[in-house]
Amino acid sequence: MLQSNEMQNSTYYHYSPTYKFSLGVEQVKDKYFDVNYSYFRLTYLLNRKNTKHSQRNLYLQSGLSSEGLDHYFYGVHGDWETRRLFSGFGYKETQTEKLDYAEQYLQLGIAPYIGEYGDLHTWLMIQSKHNELMGDWNTYPVLKFFKGNALMEVGYADTSEWDIHFMYRF
Amino acid sequence: MKYLYLVFVMMAAVYTSAHNHTMHDMESYNHEGHLHDTMVDGKLLEVNPKRFDNFIVDLEGKQVAVVSVSGMVCDFCARGIEKTFSKNQSILKLDVDLSGGKVLLAFDRDAIIDFEDIKKKILSNGQNATDLQIIKI
Repeated sequence: MLQSNEMQNSTYYHYSPTYKFSLGVEQVKDKYFDVNYSYFRLTYLLNRKNTKHSQRNLYLQSGLSSEGLDHYFYGVHGDWETRRLFSGFGYKETQTEKLDYAEQYLQLGIAPYIGEYGDLHTWLMIQSKHNELMGDWNTYPVLKFFKGNALMEVGYADTSEWDIHFMYRF
Repeated sequence: MKYLYLVFVMMAAVYTSAHNHTMHDMESYNHEGHLHDTMVDGKLLEVNPKRFDNFIVDLEGKQVAVVSVSGMVCDFCARGIEKTFSKNQSILKLDVDLSGGKVLLAFDRDAIIDFEDIKKKILSNGQNATDLQIIKI
């Protein structure tokens, strides 16, 4: 998973032994503090509800930095989606030697068409994001595409520039 | 300027997709009297007719397990199901029908289809198998 936004560029490799949790390493180039480090990450599926037309998920996430025990994060994120609608949220608290800060986001999305298995799938989304280090909430459009094992999200805001997320499942 | 460009791309995606979706709908109503109209155990198969008909084209003399799956709402999430079943040698062919919430599995006519095993495999991907219908082709 590759991610690039106003705070960091990162590459995250993770493995899911079961659908309940995943373990991984995230290499981070922190643009705000101008440092590089890695997170050893654990994500745990706290709750999932499957219905015929929807799925709801709630995850716990955590990461311990290679810089030491004083630098870590924890949080929660969740989503609810049908084939037409998507909503998601996240809250993350990061503790470092220098500063502690929190981040939150909300996402709402709609699929303009319902693709079949193997088609290119498209989501039109609005994301609202807040990082205590960056100031106010920032709301901007995001385009999400996936086809096969690849997924890409591209967002752009005047204030924070590009927010890009790419994922490939092996 | 970049913002305007993104909005333009989004509008184009909506227009193109809406057009494609209309075409899909029209095509799917053109199939009558095919196997997808079959009643199995008193229940009509709720499958995408076009997708099902394409799936069984080369399966004469075989059997197809139509597995109802809950929580299979996105293509990306269903990829794991395909990966899990593709390791099973007794499965000749596989397809995912997202609109019907079904996984289609083709077996030889004499193969024993174990719903409990299918349930476990679907659950290992985080979804739930809720029903099984077997169609002899």
